[in-house]
Amino acid sequence: MNRLVLTIILLTAYIAVTLPLSASLKSRPDLVKLGYTPSAEVLKYITADQKLLAAQWNVLKVLFYYGTLLDKWRHNIPVAAEYYNMYRTICVAAKLDPYNIDIYYFAQAAFTWEVGRVKEVNALLEYGMKYRTWDWYLPFFTGFNYGYFLHDYKQAAKYLQRAAELSGQQYLATLAARYYYQSDATEMGIAFLKTMLKQASDARERRMYQLRIQALSAIKYLQDAVRKYIRDNGHPPRDLKSLVSSGYIEKLPRDPYGGHFYVDKNGKVKTTSKLALHGKNSDNPK
Amino acid sequence: MQHFKLIFSATFVAIKRDRLLHALAGASLLLFLLVPVISMFSMRQVQELAITLFLSSLSFTLLIFSILLGVFSIWKDIEKRYIISVLSMPIKRKDYLLGKFAAIALFLMFTVCLMGIIGYGTITFAAHQYQSEIPVSWPNIFTAMLMSGAKYILLAVVALLFSVISTSIFLPIAGTIGIFLAGSATQGLYEYINSGSGAQDISLTGQYIIKALYYLLPNFSAFDYQVYAAYALALPLDTIFYTVCYWLIYTSFLLFCASIIFEKKEFR
Amino acid sequence: MNIVEINALSKEYKVKKKRIRALDNLSLTIQKGEIFGFLGPNGAGKSTTIKILTDQIRATSGSATIFGIQSNKAEARRQIGYLPENPAFYDFMTAREYLSFTGKCFNMPESSLAERTNQVLATLDLLDAANRPLKGFSKGMTQRLGLAQALLHDPDLFIFDEPMSGLDPIGRAMVKKIIKDLKNKGKTVFFSTHITSDVEVVCDRVGILVKGRLVAIDSVEHIMATGIEGYIIQIRGQDNKTEEIKVSNSELNGVIARLLADNVKIERVNPVAHNLEDFFLDTIQAQVPTNESQ
Repeated sequence: MNRLVLTIILLTAYIAVTLPLSASLKSRPDLVKLGYTPSAEVLKYITADQKLLAAQWNVLKVLFYYGTLLDKWRHNIPVAAEYYNMYRTICVAAKLDPYNIDIYYFAQAAFTWEVGRVKEVNALLEYGMKYRTWDWYLPFFTGFNYGYFLHDYKQAAKYLQRAAELSGQQYLATLAARYYYQSDATEMGIAFLKTMLKQASDARERRMYQLRIQALSAIKYLQDAVRKYIRDNGHPPRDLKSLVSSGYIEKLPRDPYGGHFYVDKNGKVKTTSKLALHGKNSDNPK
Repeated sequence: MQHFKLIFSATFVAIKRDRLLHALAGASLLLFLLVPVISMFSMRQVQELAITLFLSSLSFTLLIFSILLGVFSIWKDIEKRYIISVLSMPIKRKDYLLGKFAAIALFLMFTVCLMGIIGYGTITFAAHQYQSEIPVSWPNIFTAMLMSGAKYILLAVVALLFSVISTSIFLPIAGTIGIFLAGSATQGLYEYINSGSGAQDISLTGQYIIKALYYLLPNFSAFDYQVYAAYALALPLDTIFYTVCYWLIYTSFLLFCASIIFEKKEFR
Repeated sequence: MNIVEINALSKEYKVKKKRIRALDNLSLTIQKGEIFGFLGPNGAGKSTTIKILTDQIRATSGSATIFGIQSNKAEARRQIGYLPENPAFYDFMTAREYLSFTGKCFNMPESSLAERTNQVLATLDLLDAANRPLKGFSKGMTQRLGLAQALLHDPDLFIFDEPMSGLDPIGRAMVKKIIKDLKNKGKTVFFSTHITSDVEVVCDRVGILVKGRLVAIDSVEHIMATGIEGYIIQIRGQDNKTEEIKVSNSELNGVIARLLADNVKIERVNPVAHNLEDFFLDTIQAQVPTNESQ
């Protein structure tokens, strides 16, 4: 009898404490940190036959960290990203397991758009191509980077051609051809992202692409309106609000990265957020 | 032969009835069940990650088993004085040692097979979740598993050798782990000193030490076929052949040394 | 043929860089059918001798043969039933399993093994515990199992290292009976002990080992005979009271004849013996000064 009473008391007390504890923990400010990764040389020797696991562990660590960042940004909570640390961790992983596709995927997704480290990413992709000789994604990324970010259309065409040959997909060859003629990079970007989105299954990855498509579409939408405005008035609008007041657009779209869109003197639509276009006005830390 | 068989079966029964091993086997089984779940975290290589995780768990399980069995099976017999009752029967010490080894080796291979069946299920399941452009190459996975088994049998012999040399438990455990880490790293270091930058960075004496260690210590990284399994790369058949020969010779040599030392050992 | 032949056997241990002589030039032979007691204080070298005979340790010099075979050969152990001091057996097995393991080690045929197993289990009163894992065995039960596994393959030589230790009085009686039975079957038994009364009861011959050296070896009968100092004769007198008369060795026959002539009822005649324990203690005592003078 006594035992039963004691059990009930303890159980009740446990529930009474657990619920408020978990509630209060939820409101605790969480530190978003990537943490330190030992160098590849050290890891290579101490992980013995668990190199692949160590590589994947590092990748997953970065993926989770980045996922948290995306969530914060979506809710307009400004958090500084440890881009250099992320890049370093990814490179460590690549040295441990050069075959791991997640590394190249993530590098492509995270370090080109926001950070503008296109050359470094391309070098990493080149490194991966030495191992993943069958994979058309790596030349596809490299080609896109050359065209979209670096405006080196010749290199872009070369890599896209290689991707087309490896994949046997004709539209890649068409894309390669279009690089010679077209310069509307925003549209190219959206096309690229839509291709990626179609093949993505991972929820975080899809969210990443959707977010970026949303941002690019907003810019394209605004850019089209600005272009129309210039055609009609002969000069760019003073600010984007005037596009609404003069009826070119219904309302200003929101920057999903939490910034504000604006138009510069030359009539180019830009944003104050992390979404750096064309790899030029990026605000990377290092 | 009769005595070899008797020690072999007695050791196998001992392993089968060991509570600690039951707990560890249960824990590693849990690890295997987690494989498909954790694989989902990968963006683009669910199947490759599942294979990696599977082989990693197998490797880890075998590591624990080989050290425990290699170190404890003879040490415990000596420590608890079972060995006096056993060796005072007309059993040759060589038969006792080889019987122990055979039981441990068979148990490790048995673990490989059992885990292989579980792995077949988990990898197939994970591969269905997300279609990879790389096919699942079962011959490669089985090769990696068998090589893993061979490697940890070799490690168990290292542990046996230590447990025969030492009377304390500390040296066998620390020594075996040390040899495992060093033996896994020598290939990388050897390649490094033979590369341009490595030859400059490391002193000549250092280079000789590394070379000596490379040829002296068991080369565990030679048995690592995880990359071939995860990314279905073409298997280097000649390397596999040499590795198997290397394993046979190295294992025999260590057993030979252990049996010489064991022959001289006194049980006071 | 000598069953056991020990020839100038010496053993040195190194303990912390110090050489310790555990066994010093021991020579000893044991004949067939003999029950030999190896007596000595703790650390005298009894176990060392037995461990050399069963090849657990190796002699520094000298040699030993069993049935004419060098004792470090596995073949030599085929005819030995050995009980280690404080024995320990694979504790994951049951008693029956362990005996089966032992029997197979001695190449016993499967057919006789099961029957023989039951016999020895019954002899050592272990039938009830036969199918229990050895993990749960008490010290006395383990000791009895040790005897069981030594008896199992019915060898011609038994080597018991402190067979009585860890046993209760019933167990001790059991062991004494077993050794006597073995003697009746013509087996040879070599056992070590530090308890003199055990030797007195069962042994034919006794060797006394002190600090690694064999200091005395003699038949028990002879020791007991030389040790008799006189007799106590117990008689019942006229008023039905018992009386004791002390007589010397030489007086014995005369006194008994006189008593019988007087029609006195003799109830008991006990020798006043200088017993084995006194002999043992005297031998050791005699040994100490010479050892210290060395």
